[in-house]
Amino acid sequence: MFDFLIEGFGVALTPLNLGLAFLGALLGTLFGALPGIGPINGIAILMPLAYTLGLPAESALILLAGIYTGAEYGGRMSSILLNVPGDAGAVMTTLDGHPLAKRGLAGPALGLSAVASFVGATIAIIGLTLFAPLLARVAVMFGPAEFFALMVFAFSSMSVMMGKDPIKTAIGAVLGVLIGTVGVDSGTGVMRYTFGMPELYDGIDFVVMIIGLFAISEILLMLEHAHRDDVDDKLPPLGRVFVSLKEVMACKGTMLRSGVLGFIIGVLPGTGASVAGAVSYTTEKRLVDKDNTFGTGDMRGLAAPEAANNASAAGSFVPMLTLGIPGSGTTAVLLGALMLYNITPGPMMFTDNPEVAGGLIASLYIGNLVLLALNLPLAGVFAKVLTIPRWVLVPAIAVLSFVGVYQLHSDLTAIYLMLIIGVFGYLLRKLGFSLAPVILGYVLGGLMEENLRRALAISGGDTGILWQSGISLSLWIAASALLVLPWLVPKLLKQRPSSQA
Amino acid sequence: MKNITALPAALLLGASLSVGTAQAADEAECIAPAKPGGGYDLTCRLAANGLLETGLIEDPMLVTYMPGGIGAVAYNHVNGVRTDDPNLIVAASTGAAVNLALGKFGQYDASEVRWVGALGVDYGAIVVKADAPWQTLDELMTALQEDPTQVAFGAGGSVGSQDWMKAALTAKAADVDPRSLRYVAFEGGGEALAALLGNHIQVFSGDLSELKSQLESGDIRVLAALSEERMGGPYAEIPTAAEQGYDVQWPIWRGYYMGPEVSDEAYQAWVERLENLAGNETFAELREARGLFPMARFGDDFDGYVKDQVADFKELAAEVGLTQ
Amino acid sequence: MSIAADRCLGIALMGLAAFTAVNALSLEVPFSYDPVGPKAFPLGLSILLGLLSLVLVIRPGENGHWPDKRLGLRLLGVLVLLLVYAVLFPRLGFLLSSMLVIAALAWLFEASPLKAVATGVLMALGGQWLFTHGLGIGLPGLPW
Repeated sequence: MFDFLIEGFGVALTPLNLGLAFLGALLGTLFGALPGIGPINGIAILMPLAYTLGLPAESALILLAGIYTGAEYGGRMSSILLNVPGDAGAVMTTLDGHPLAKRGLAGPALGLSAVASFVGATIAIIGLTLFAPLLARVAVMFGPAEFFALMVFAFSSMSVMMGKDPIKTAIGAVLGVLIGTVGVDSGTGVMRYTFGMPELYDGIDFVVMIIGLFAISEILLMLEHAHRDDVDDKLPPLGRVFVSLKEVMACKGTMLRSGVLGFIIGVLPGTGASVAGAVSYTTEKRLVDKDNTFGTGDMRGLAAPEAANNASAAGSFVPMLTLGIPGSGTTAVLLGALMLYNITPGPMMFTDNPEVAGGLIASLYIGNLVLLALNLPLAGVFAKVLTIPRWVLVPAIAVLSFVGVYQLHSDLTAIYLMLIIGVFGYLLRKLGFSLAPVILGYVLGGLMEENLRRALAISGGDTGILWQSGISLSLWIAASALLVLPWLVPKLLKQRPSSQA
Repeated sequence: MKNITALPAALLLGASLSVGTAQAADEAECIAPAKPGGGYDLTCRLAANGLLETGLIEDPMLVTYMPGGIGAVAYNHVNGVRTDDPNLIVAASTGAAVNLALGKFGQYDASEVRWVGALGVDYGAIVVKADAPWQTLDELMTALQEDPTQVAFGAGGSVGSQDWMKAALTAKAADVDPRSLRYVAFEGGGEALAALLGNHIQVFSGDLSELKSQLESGDIRVLAALSEERMGGPYAEIPTAAEQGYDVQWPIWRGYYMGPEVSDEAYQAWVERLENLAGNETFAELREARGLFPMARFGDDFDGYVKDQVADFKELAAEVGLTQ
Repeated sequence: MSIAADRCLGIALMGLAAFTAVNALSLEVPFSYDPVGPKAFPLGLSILLGLLSLVLVIRPGENGHWPDKRLGLRLLGVLVLLLVYAVLFPRLGFLLSSMLVIAALAWLFEASPLKAVATGVLMALGGQWLFTHGLGIGLPGLPW
């Protein structure tokens, strides 16, 4: 049964392919670490190159898969060090990662997140090896109604993030959803809030959104910190560089759970690393955050999204390899790469091209080991970014933001939009808003509306379709439990002693 | 061992050195009016790789991304800013023609730019799951006529998109009002195909080239290809809609246009370049690898083809109630 | 002061909610296959936003310090600089526009003039090399 994997390791362990896996991991880390240049762009940029070089199919795929997984590793760096997510999956990583860095624990935070990424990815690759064909069949059972229920679940799990200012969290989420409605309505083709500007037809781009919201507003806040003498925001000296085994073990449950959760979400077509990160973070907060330390630099709050986003990256290979259906933008690009080699991924691939399917999966195992080996010792080096003076750091962030947005749009409107969103983000942060709900609303809101309307288009308006299947019904029950239990449990607990008395 | 592994790395970096040089003024450029990796990216790469590999251009062609409104942003850019750039071509497709017809490209219409030529074409397909009750297009059409609400169509585009047009035209051919259909808009053909395999929709109006792996595995049945005649290779068994008595054709061409003020010499040079490319055997392989069928329309021929098509779409849109 | 800020925000958000609602109502929909249509979602959101901002106006919360005049001017300076960068970027090309803007930004962040110029030149050259040669990203070239 695992012949293809044995053959795959044979393929992946040739010097050429090992070198490519290493190179892919390195380039991917770089692509992921630069804000705005995520895995999709990295792959799209290097894909024609791999083809022009005349690399054989399995080698090209090994290189590109290395970039993909590497980018998920790299995305966390600027999240932790600069509070600017390097890519979509790393938004939640800022919540606890950056506070840790501010406490002088950047090195251990980088180390722990590398371990968490490794654990998450490994869980997912094992899942991919063992259950891919089975999971593919489960994945297609998720139709619009099930996705809608999943989004309801995701929103209700966000209620845990309400924190000390529930009104502002809610407003943030609503604003995020509203920003997500800009553009062509995917159901009817009607333009919403585009003001006749073609640049807005496709909506506000995710990259423009996170770079504006996080990077540009961060620049403005840094100026403020540089200017004010009354707050001492000097970072404590960089302490330890390496994460301790004790810290890793304290997050072991979180990493395992988030890895599994991230993998499952990654397998579903249409949801990706950002949803995986959000759901795992809120789930862990609910499960293990007894002292309410999530958001203030809790190691578990860092481990959860990192394990999950790497797991979801590997999980999105499942529908691509087994059904030939891309589960994410990145796998869509990889699918295109395979087609250049006249290889059509799908159910037949494991029998027709076992060296490609096996080589890819084997290279994922190897790539992950390479990435761990690369990232653990380098944590200390990267942590030094924090000691760079502001007058170097700020221009660097500005240049990266501009290049990231410009190479994606070749258009000034996108850059102006990025600056406007940056000012908006600055104001929100000054007014005591957290940016995570805005981003989550933006990501989840569109999926929620689209899938609700798709489901009702199928049923012709009959709302019964929304809770018809077992999957959606269980998601609805889980969602209502999330909302009701935190309110109900304390009441029940209070009642018990009084009834005994 | 160490030296051997370093070799490919050095090779690759070396190659990226030569490919990635900043754009010079006289270098050929193709704007892909989409994000990296999409259909337009593929269209640009087809020309870029083809021209380079066949030696028709010497330096690699630069591919620039300019996403927005299925080409609307790029169309406005070329009509407003880079109106006379002799080295610039922009990727376009049937989807762009549909949006031009619907007036979604802003103030400009199809006659503004100079249409250069098309290098390949894909065709629409009417797809059901392998265990669906309908064996032929005729059976599906009969079921539609009896009760259109029992059959849910799905595809990768909104109402008014070229994906929707395939479903609407099919319904129209069966004398069913496209508005009485059940139609579900997904984000891309992949999601719609997944929904078909999961029994959430019954009919998928997609493109032939995206069906290859499902055809091989036998998970789906293609009731009709929306092409003029039967295609070869893995698609040889698929009857056309016309064969079955329904006059529906939906070619999805992949071509290029240039700015409105480009000189006749520059335009003619590109027409010849693409014409030469289309006749080349190496290029035929490249085109096939991207799942495209041959199409050869260049210069005035292509210009007229696009303008006629846009006019047809305008009529169609009014007929089905999309515009007044 | 902070309470006033929250009230202002609440009122501004109510305005946004009203605008969203009016805009949603004026959408012209040829036809829709789902009974919800493109209007319902933005309408629901604007109602929700209106209610939430009403709460904010009635019970405003705490928030941080606001910049004084001098800082405000420098914030504006950074923004103008970024805007200038946006305008120059495609015209002067990556190298020149970056040199200018990096140097100016570094200076605004209290680097000495010499350090600022050095940062600008080195970072622009390094960036050009990293992006075009290392990562294969096309950047706008020099204006000539």
